[in-house]
Amino acid sequence: MNRKSLYTTLLACLIPLISLSQSGPAGIHSFHLENGMHFIVQEDRSIPNANMYLFWKVGSRNEVHGITGLSHFFEHMMFNGSKNYGPKQFDRVMEANGGSNNAYTSENVTVYTDWFQKDALETIFKLESDRIQYLSIDSAMVESERGVVLSERSTGLENSNYRTLGELVQSVAFKEHPYMFPVIGFESDIKSWTQADLEQYFKTYYSPNNATVVIVGDVSIDQVKKLAQQYMAPIPKRALPPVIRTIEPAQNGTRRVETFKDIATANVLMAYHVPASNHEDYYALELLSSILTSGNSSRLIKNLVLDTTLASQVYSFTENSFDPSLFSIYAIAGKSTSAPDLEKAIEKQIEMIIEKVNENELQKVKNQKLMELYKSLETINGKANSLGTYAVFFGDYRKMFEAPDHFEKVTTGDIQRVARQYLTIRNKTTGYLLPHQP
Amino acid sequence: MKHIFLSLFTLFSLVAHAQHHFKLPSYETVVLKNGLTIFLMEQHEVPVIHASFTFDAGSMHDGSNSGLANLTADALLLGTKKFSKTELDDQVDYVGATLRSTAGKESAGITATFAKKDQDLMLEILKEVSMFPTFDSIEFNKNKERTLLNLQQLRESPRSVIANYYNALLFPNFPYGAPREGTPLSVAPLSSEMAQTFYKQFYTTDRAALALVGDFDSALMKRKLTAIFGVWKTNAAALVKRKAPELDFKESRVLLINKEDARETTFLIGGKGIDYNSPDYVPVMVINTILGGRFTSWLNDALRVNSGLTYGARSGFSRYKYAGTFQISTFTKNETTVPAIDLALQVLDSLHQHGITTEILESAKAYVKGDFPPNYESSGSLAQLLTDMYRYGFDENYINTFQQKVENIDLKQAKEIIARYFPKDNLQFVLIGKADEIREQVKKYGNLLEKEIKDDHY
Repeated sequence: MNRKSLYTTLLACLIPLISLSQSGPAGIHSFHLENGMHFIVQEDRSIPNANMYLFWKVGSRNEVHGITGLSHFFEHMMFNGSKNYGPKQFDRVMEANGGSNNAYTSENVTVYTDWFQKDALETIFKLESDRIQYLSIDSAMVESERGVVLSERSTGLENSNYRTLGELVQSVAFKEHPYMFPVIGFESDIKSWTQADLEQYFKTYYSPNNATVVIVGDVSIDQVKKLAQQYMAPIPKRALPPVIRTIEPAQNGTRRVETFKDIATANVLMAYHVPASNHEDYYALELLSSILTSGNSSRLIKNLVLDTTLASQVYSFTENSFDPSLFSIYAIAGKSTSAPDLEKAIEKQIEMIIEKVNENELQKVKNQKLMELYKSLETINGKANSLGTYAVFFGDYRKMFEAPDHFEKVTTGDIQRVARQYLTIRNKTTGYLLPHQP
Repeated sequence: MKHIFLSLFTLFSLVAHAQHHFKLPSYETVVLKNGLTIFLMEQHEVPVIHASFTFDAGSMHDGSNSGLANLTADALLLGTKKFSKTELDDQVDYVGATLRSTAGKESAGITATFAKKDQDLMLEILKEVSMFPTFDSIEFNKNKERTLLNLQQLRESPRSVIANYYNALLFPNFPYGAPREGTPLSVAPLSSEMAQTFYKQFYTTDRAALALVGDFDSALMKRKLTAIFGVWKTNAAALVKRKAPELDFKESRVLLINKEDARETTFLIGGKGIDYNSPDYVPVMVINTILGGRFTSWLNDALRVNSGLTYGARSGFSRYKYAGTFQISTFTKNETTVPAIDLALQVLDSLHQHGITTEILESAKAYVKGDFPPNYESSGSLAQLLTDMYRYGFDENYINTFQQKVENIDLKQAKEIIARYFPKDNLQFVLIGKADEIREQVKKYGNLLEKEIKDDHY
C-alpha cells in the first residue's frame, strides 16, 4: 500500500542523553534517544545523497472492524499538515530542497521514506519531527484524502487480479486475528471513519519509542546525532501501544473460497499458516519458497510453466510479520488448465519436496540468497530498507549480516520438515478466481 | 493558497543552491575489430558484476510480423550450441545469477548480474546466448504459447495496455505505433525460422555494445572480453532509412476503449513530444516536473490533493530516436471521468496561459537535481546508462553537465520551452472504461473512435 504510482565538544554534551550507542559491522551506528526513538546510521558517500526511513510499528494488524484501513489512511494524513508546516507544505518544502518521499503500509508496519540531496538533512529532520510531534488533522483534508484512498483501492482492484483474490483468501485464512483485514480497508470503513478515530490513532501509535529511524548516505554520524538530539529528542514519549491479544487458533481443516472476474484463465492462491518472522523456521521457509519458485530451474516454474504449460505464471512468498502469518503460492493457469488441475499439480510438487530435496538444489537457493543480499547493499536505499527491516522484524539490524550463516545452516532435512509440517491440507486455504463473462 | 506557496519557497530557496555536483564514475571504452563496443566501469562496493548487451534488434524492425523481435530476444535464452535450455537455467540459478533478454522498440538486449567469483562461467554463458543460440522449434513454440496467453492477460489491466493504444493512435504509419510484444493474431504465425532470420539480420556486432560495471579489474576484463567476443563474425548491419513521423495533429480525437467490467476510467491525454536527442530535454524535464513530474506537481495537486478525484495524476515525455510523445495520465471512477479530464485540461491550459514563477522554477530545479544521482547508483543502472549512450549517441557529458544545465534555466527559456514543446491544441485522448457510461459525455473532446479491449488490434 504505497502512498504514491525513498564537534567533539557538542558530542560530549549529548552522550548522557543517548542511552545506547555502538558501532556495528561496516561502520553502522545505532543509538536510542532518551524518548526511546531508535536510530541506525550508516555513512555512504557513493552519491551526494542520503535517505531517512522511518519504521513505525503500526499496520492493519492493529485495526478492528469499523476502522479497517485506518493505518494506511493515517499514512496519507501524515503528509497533510502539522503545526509549522500547514497542508501541502511537507511535500513542497521537501521537494524545493531537493528531496522526495513516499510511504507504505503493510499488515505490520507503516514506513515513511525520504530521499534527498545531502544538504537537506536538517530540513528533513525539521519536517519529520514537526509532524511526529505536532500533526494537525484538518477535516477538509480528511475528506479529499478519503477520495484519494477510495481511488487507490479501486485502481488496485481494476488492475490486479492478485489484489482481488489475495484479500479474499486472507479473510478466510484468518478467522480471529486481524491479519484477516485488507491493508487498504473495507470500502464502507474508508467512507466512514471519523476525525476522532484518527486523533486516537495518532496518540496511540505515533510515540517516538514506537519508531526505528534509519539514515544512510552522504552524512556524518555526528551530524545525525546532533540533529536527532535537536529535533527528535524533545518529542515526549508516551506509553507503547497495547499488544495484540488475539492469537489465531490452529487451522484444523482445509478452507476454500472462490470469486469471479472477466479474466482469461483461472487464478489459484494457496495459503498456509506459518510462524512469525522471528521464528527459527524462518530461514528454512524462505529457502523452501526459493526452491519452489526462484528462477527457471525452481520446481514450480520448471514443471508448471516451462516444461509444461499448466501455468503461465507462478509465485510463492511470505511477508515479514510480527505474528504467525501466511506462506502463499499464487499461480495463473495455462490456457487449457482448470483451477483444480492447477492446484493438484502444485500439491504434487510439494509432495515431491517432502520426499526429497537435493543438496545441489539447496546450495543453489543459498547462493541466490547471498546474491540478493549483495544486491540490496548496492544502493543507499537498499541498505536503509534492509537495516530497518532486520531491526524491526528480527530485533537487531546485525541479523542482516548473520542471515547468510543462518541460511547456510539449513539442511535438506530442514526443508523437508518445514514442507511436511506447514504445507499440509488441514493448514491450507485455497482461493480460486475464476473466469466469467460480464 | 498561492500566497502560502510563494512565501514558503522564499524561505527555503537558499538551501537548494548548496548542492554538490554529481559526476559519472570513470570508465573505459574499447572497440573490437568486429565493431563491437565494450564499456568497462569498475565499482567495488559489493562483489557483484552487471553485464548489459545492446543490439539494434528492437521491434522497430518487426515489419508486418509484430512481436517477432520480442520472441527472438526470448529465444536467445532457450538453448545454445553448447547448453540446452535446462542446462542454461540450472547453471545460472546455481550461482544465484540472473540472466534476461528483452526487446524494446529501438533495441534488444541481454543483461546478467552475477557474483565476481562466477565471472568466467557467466561470460561463457553470455557468449553462448549471444553468439550461438539454436532457435530450437519446440522451445520456441512453448514460449510462443506462453506469450499468447500473456498477451490476452495484459488486457485485464488497463494500465498495462493503455500506452499501446496511445502509440497506435499517434504513430499510425510508423513502427512506434505497433506494440512491442505484438498481438495474438500477429504472434500466432511466428516461427523459430523467422526468429533465426531476424537474429542473423539484426544481431550484428557493428551495431552492438556490451557494458560491464562492477567488481573487476578493467585490464584483465578487457583481455577476457576481447578473447571471447573478438572472434564473433556477423553480417554487417543493413542500413534502414526512416523518415521521422509527423505528429502535428489537425484535430482532436478521442479513442474510447470499452472494458465492460471497468470500475474506473483510465486515460491519457497528449500529443507530440520530443525525440531522444532533443537538445532541450533537460529544460523540458524541469518544466514537466512542475506540470506533472512530482508529487506537488500541478496535475497531482489539482486532481488528487485538492479534489480527491484520483490516487495520482502525472505527465511525461516518452522519447524515441525519431520522435516522442507527451502525455498526461491518470484514472478516476466512472462517474467523475469528465470532471477529471476537465481539470487536467485546465491545468495544462494554465501552464500556457500563466506560465511559471521564479519560485516554482527554483523548486523544480532543486528537485530534479536531488532526484538525479540515485538513478545512476547501482551497477545495473550504470550499465544501462552506458548502453543508452551507445544507442542514442551521447556521452558522460550528459551526466556531468546535467546539474549545470538545470541551473541555467531561467524564466525566459521556460516560457519558450512551454510554448514550443507542451501541446495545447488538437489534443489526442485515449480512454479505457465502461463506454456506455461515458460515451456521450466525452464526445465533446474530439472526433470519437471506439474499440473493444478484447479486440486484437490496438
